[in-house]
Amino acid sequence: MIEGSHASSYAVELARVQVISAYPITPQTGVVEKLSEIVASKKLNARFIKVESEHSAMAACIGASAAGARAFTATSSQGLALMHELLHWAAGSRLPIVMVNVNRAMAPPWSIYADQTDSLSQRDTGWMQFYCESNQEVLDTVLQAYKIAESVYLPCMINLDAFFLSHTSEPVALPKQSLVDEFLPPYDPPFRLDPDNPHAFGGLVGPDGYMELRYKIHQAMEEARVKIKEVDDEYGEKFGRSYGGLVEGYETDDSEIVLATAGTAASTARIVVDDLRARGSPVGLLKIRAFRPFPVDEVRSLARHVKKIGVLDRNFSFGATGIFYQEIKAALYNAEHRPPVFGFVVGLGGRDITPAVIEELFDHLMKNNVPESESIWIGLKHKPA
Amino acid sequence: MAELKFSTLEEMPLLAISLESTQVISTGSWRHVRPVYVQRTSPCEIGCPAGEKIPEYFELLRQRKYEEAWRKVLEDNPLPGVMGRVCYHPCESSCNRAQFDSPIAIHLIERFVADKNFSNTTPMPLLESRKRERVAIVGSGPSGLSCAYQLARRGYNVTIYEAEAKPGGMLRYGIPRYRLPRRVLDKEIGDILRLGVELRLNARVGENISWSELKAYDAIYLAVGAQRSRRLGVEGEELDGIRTGVDFLREINSGAKPTMSSKVVVIGGGNTAIDAARSSRRLGAEVTIVYRRTRAEMPAVPEEIEEAEKEGVEFLFLAAPVRFHGENGRVKKIEVQRMALGEPDASGRRRPVPVASSNFFIEAGTVLTAIGEEPDLSLLSSSDLSMVLREEGGRICVDEHQMTGVPGIFAGGDAATNPLGTVVNAIRAGKNAALAIHEYLGWKKVENSAPGEVVEYKDINLAYFVHEQRARGGRLAVAEGIKSFREVNRGLSESQALREVDRCFSCGTCIHCDVCMDFCPDVAISKDAAGEYVIDYNHCKGCGICVAECPREAMALSAELAFATAGSKDSEEQEG
Repeated sequence: MIEGSHASSYAVELARVQVISAYPITPQTGVVEKLSEIVASKKLNARFIKVESEHSAMAACIGASAAGARAFTATSSQGLALMHELLHWAAGSRLPIVMVNVNRAMAPPWSIYADQTDSLSQRDTGWMQFYCESNQEVLDTVLQAYKIAESVYLPCMINLDAFFLSHTSEPVALPKQSLVDEFLPPYDPPFRLDPDNPHAFGGLVGPDGYMELRYKIHQAMEEARVKIKEVDDEYGEKFGRSYGGLVEGYETDDSEIVLATAGTAASTARIVVDDLRARGSPVGLLKIRAFRPFPVDEVRSLARHVKKIGVLDRNFSFGATGIFYQEIKAALYNAEHRPPVFGFVVGLGGRDITPAVIEELFDHLMKNNVPESESIWIGLKHKPA
Repeated sequence: MAELKFSTLEEMPLLAISLESTQVISTGSWRHVRPVYVQRTSPCEIGCPAGEKIPEYFELLRQRKYEEAWRKVLEDNPLPGVMGRVCYHPCESSCNRAQFDSPIAIHLIERFVADKNFSNTTPMPLLESRKRERVAIVGSGPSGLSCAYQLARRGYNVTIYEAEAKPGGMLRYGIPRYRLPRRVLDKEIGDILRLGVELRLNARVGENISWSELKAYDAIYLAVGAQRSRRLGVEGEELDGIRTGVDFLREINSGAKPTMSSKVVVIGGGNTAIDAARSSRRLGAEVTIVYRRTRAEMPAVPEEIEEAEKEGVEFLFLAAPVRFHGENGRVKKIEVQRMALGEPDASGRRRPVPVASSNFFIEAGTVLTAIGEEPDLSLLSSSDLSMVLREEGGRICVDEHQMTGVPGIFAGGDAATNPLGTVVNAIRAGKNAALAIHEYLGWKKVENSAPGEVVEYKDINLAYFVHEQRARGGRLAVAEGIKSFREVNRGLSESQALREVDRCFSCGTCIHCDVCMDFCPDVAISKDAAGEYVIDYNHCKGCGICVAECPREAMALSAELAFATAGSKDSEEQEG
């Protein structure tokens, strides 16, 4: 029985990470506290670099990774935001840094509770992004992430909901170190900081070259689509657990109405789907595991046979709509089959998403054919009329 | 902009990477302040009255250049073996490390340096060519020796007139052998004499040496010390068995064994009192020190007080003798009155005030009085100088250059008005006098150089230091120590001394720790063939990280010379 933050720590230990640099922020603290014990006890032979801010933590990881070390950090909301410029740097430098981000609401108002706006605000930085619904998935995804990242040379962040996963204990199976070593060989990059073979990295490139280098990042993300599925399948064969690659369709093959979401809301939604199906409703769940690269094909493929899609966003982009909602609509715009898509905004700042709430969403989807607005906010406390 | 090497997507590497040297880009042209290496003064150098260049000789020790380290000390102090044993080390009170954990045991390191070079009798090289002029020095205590040494190094013909049978003054006749072994003293005096200094023993000016002989010299330095004990002025002081501590010590240090009772009382709280008390213990007596103030006001070196305690010396504080009682002309007991501490006196210490009707008696078969010494200036009476030389409080008046009012006559050490009654100040006075004589005789002006910027504790970058225990020298077990006059403190081993040197912050003196070089983000600092740092000002952007990180404040950021053209070689010139 392990809480989500510690599941991350054990994954880092199994991955034989060489450099860890992080700054504490609730509710990520457990990740780094456990890691500091693991490193201090010499169970993991890693350099643990204490820094004074998250920006420096990412800077340290960039330096370490550039020198050829497998690097790791963890953060949340404000800390992730502080790292922002360096997230661009890590991706642009093609460094396979893996970061665990505990999804926590952005302030103000100050909040430590579950909300996905923090990581989704970083969607344009070039990082791959995963959203996990269980502590087991967190551990497995961290291990998969290093393999994927070190293959396509892009950094990867793994997200888990604040408190619902980070501080909740669930049964987690720890794979054997020897199996992990077979699955994940040591990091061996083609370019590294090396005084015996000196180069300057990331220097000025004018308009005559910048675009090509950026295109290469795009190519890498496209490669990642394939790689993510490949590695998940390989992991399934070796360790007995896999998660469907970029998405998992739960009871979607014969459903008419599908709710798409990511994070712990997906695990609650499964229960509701089962319950509704037992009562005769043709519903299903699209659990979105990878947000970057965005599973366009998978969404289009689903859209071919469903009648309505609801999106549960535990996040929001002001001046527009929930972010998964935007991305799903965008994926469908040029597709042949474009069912109506409803955007629900639910559970911001840690407000509980109970089965009753999800049932309410399905209910809404069943009763309405056209969304009445671009963002349907659920559960707001209105003054009684 | 440089031309791209790759023209197509397929040719390009995964990320922007340089394939040639980037040195052509003169990032140094972006600078508006530049880092420079500076030498600042460490507080220990200021704290040392002799002005020893402590960080410099420590650096030589780090490089294992033991003879050079010794000679670096010898530039300012010819008696490091002596001082490493007897100095009250004000350098350590100034040490910045004291605020971090404990001060560096500088005196123990100085002792190590001297002891390590004990068998080296090669004289110091002369600083200047031999001269015609002759200088007379009266007294071969530390002040006279220091003056003779500095003059001899500058080529003068020096003659020391010593009244006693052996040289050294209080170093030999005052300080006991268990603190300062004679072979150490003899070796260092020998080193001074080997510079060509003439030593005349049993030569008492005013008795068998006339003033006319002295007047024939080109300059005279009077360093007769303060060897006359102050009288208590108490009834019964003339009883047998009561003598001065100074006399008692002189007798022991001349090789005799004084007759004494087994119950010894020492009156006084200074180093002479402690020396007399510890010496008495070694002659088998029970000893009590009677002091009119408390332990906190005792002028003796604190370590000496502790040693006396360990050796079983008893202390009676806030008490002073009012009468000596005898039997058959010999002292038998002391009538003592209690004191209380009142307002501070001229010395800044609280004045002892007698407590009425508090008298009591203590037994004493031998009483040693050690309440302070004064110079015996009777030698002046046979000259015409006593008319002309001003005295103040029984000492010869001198200015900060040791000059008396009379041209050509200098004085220093305990005999003069600007000592602090310590050996190291006597050495400083001797050096001052030598430099003043050097100027007086027309050779070189004394430069009153103000000390450079002194490094304070707040300037040290503590991130580079961890707390470490101060070195402790070995010593004889107490029970063993009081059986004889063998040296009690054994000093530091080589590894202990080097480890203690490593504890030194080296305030203001570069020790080539490489922190500046390691941190420079532009790789603009390197080392030349001699191991000295070189800053490549063509690429130094003036970020100042080297200056901020330097653990010992040995760098500074100074204003850039000119906001000149980019990449210009002119911007390399160092400012004066």
